[in-house]
Amino acid sequence: MKRIGLGIIGLGYIGKVHLRHSLKLANANLVAVSDLSKRALRNARESGVKKTHSDYEQLLKDPEIDAVIIALPTHLHLQCAKKAAEEKKHIFLEKPIARNVTEAQEIISAAKKNSVKLMIGYPLRFNPTFRNVKDKIRSGTLGDVEIAHAVNIGSGPFFHREQDYAPTPVPEWWFNKELTGGGVLVDLGSHMVNLLRWYFGEIIDIKSHLGYRFNFDFEDSATCLARFESGTLGVISLGWFSHVTNVQVELFGTVQHANTQHRAPNPLLTAAQMLTMGRSKFFEPHLTELQHFVNCITQDLSPFSTGRDGLKDLEAISSAYKNQIQLAEKSSDI
Amino acid sequence: MCYYWDYSTGQTTDPRFVAALIDVIREQTKPDVNISVVEADASAMKCKHAFRLLGYEKLAQDYNVNLVNLSEDQSTSIEVTAGGQNFHLKVPRVIQEADLKINVTKIKYSLANIKITCALKNVFGCNPYPKKYKYHPRLDETIVALNKAMKFDLHLIDGIIVSGIQPRKLGLIMASTDPVAIDVAATRIAGENPNRIRYIQLAEKEGLGNTSFIPKGVPLDYFKKRYPRKTIQKKLMGKAYNLAIQMRFGKRLGLE
Repeated sequence: MKRIGLGIIGLGYIGKVHLRHSLKLANANLVAVSDLSKRALRNARESGVKKTHSDYEQLLKDPEIDAVIIALPTHLHLQCAKKAAEEKKHIFLEKPIARNVTEAQEIISAAKKNSVKLMIGYPLRFNPTFRNVKDKIRSGTLGDVEIAHAVNIGSGPFFHREQDYAPTPVPEWWFNKELTGGGVLVDLGSHMVNLLRWYFGEIIDIKSHLGYRFNFDFEDSATCLARFESGTLGVISLGWFSHVTNVQVELFGTVQHANTQHRAPNPLLTAAQMLTMGRSKFFEPHLTELQHFVNCITQDLSPFSTGRDGLKDLEAISSAYKNQIQLAEKSSDI
Repeated sequence: MCYYWDYSTGQTTDPRFVAALIDVIREQTKPDVNISVVEADASAMKCKHAFRLLGYEKLAQDYNVNLVNLSEDQSTSIEVTAGGQNFHLKVPRVIQEADLKINVTKIKYSLANIKITCALKNVFGCNPYPKKYKYHPRLDETIVALNKAMKFDLHLIDGIIVSGIQPRKLGLIMASTDPVAIDVAATRIAGENPNRIRYIQLAEKEGLGNTSFIPKGVPLDYFKKRYPRKTIQKKLMGKAYNLAIQMRFGKRLGLE
């Protein structure tokens, strides 16, 4: 079977995770990486990557590369994905697909026009615990799911490993709504909207309440109410305000309830896994999704989460921004 | 302020504490006294974001005080020695020219090497140079040098919420004109031994204050019993982290 030549564009937080996993994929070679950071490129070379570029256009011109993983800030998705498609590279694009619906449509058109595959990174779909829930819904063991609670609350870009450890700088683009396309609703919301769409079909109505604890012009918490095609009512809670990461789905069916959770792992266990396996079990779904992307190329299959999924998620999120519910403001005594 | 975590985590000073302090200062001096709330950029934090995120922009508007990013303020270069080492440091103009300097700090556990952060360590944040990790290899001496370069008139601890193994509402407020004494008291409350904290010992040797003192008010033991102390597992994890970084395992552990 032909081995796929891979390139990674962007070696930020998630780009580094993809780098570690790309070195372990079946039927794929990591050929090159691109980033503006010299330190990130040096680390990649030390990990065994032969070609490194500070300009991603050089990477895109490389004939050894069949597909690229784009892990850039959201405002750069459109430009980079279009150029990758024009160079006939298959695309794995990190979520959210783009800042807005118009940009997402352009990315999808570029991929279609150049006949390249476009997959959006939604690792929850590749997480065994969340897949088990999907099996329960599909098999009917829960009955009709009347209410679904989906939670994705953590520290978001204000990432802090543990209070004992050194804080991590927050890239400047995270503070600019024009560059991110929004706050937590677009960042973590895209994960949960995508997951619930997979479970219950398209969203036919959605409303949101946004919170601004950190006083920025983008929301750091959001709660959405969504009606799905299946009739299920979804309650989606999102936050960037917490030290603790909690990704959780709780379904209330007419026959049974189901509850599944994806918590941040024990740091000691993670350290042991990193030293022995070179990767953390926490990120296992990210490895599975990359392998799926490679398999889609080698076997000419349609990706499990397509550009259309990314677009539909963004359309729902865009509606949620438009349909905001106002509640009484929190009292402030300063 | 150190990072983008608000008062509820016990990591940063509650702006309401600073607001109350402003009220007291104005009552005791004059209502239109010019007050500046100052902080400098750090390796992982920018004041322009922290001031807003942590509620200080709102405080400045509501109380008509200046917010000063010390990294952007004019400063004077000075030479200081501490622990036999020489330092070329910058002292921000706003600190140099202030008639009254108040150091408002938290009690919290710090990187394993220095164990505790309180009044003396808080002055490390007044160093206008943003990439403060440069000083980490000789952190004890740097803390003392900065305290020699910038002497504060009063040290206040906002221990209403403290940060131990987790945050806890402790309801503690401490005040002293001696940064060494207040740090010794805070260290005891946090269950650490001040004799084993090098910068505290060095600060006393360099004449910044005294490790012996007579506390007034509620006995320290009352707070010590309630302080959310580090577990042995947590202490070991801190040491393991530092060791991993020293042994250049950071990349293999996904920390770089």
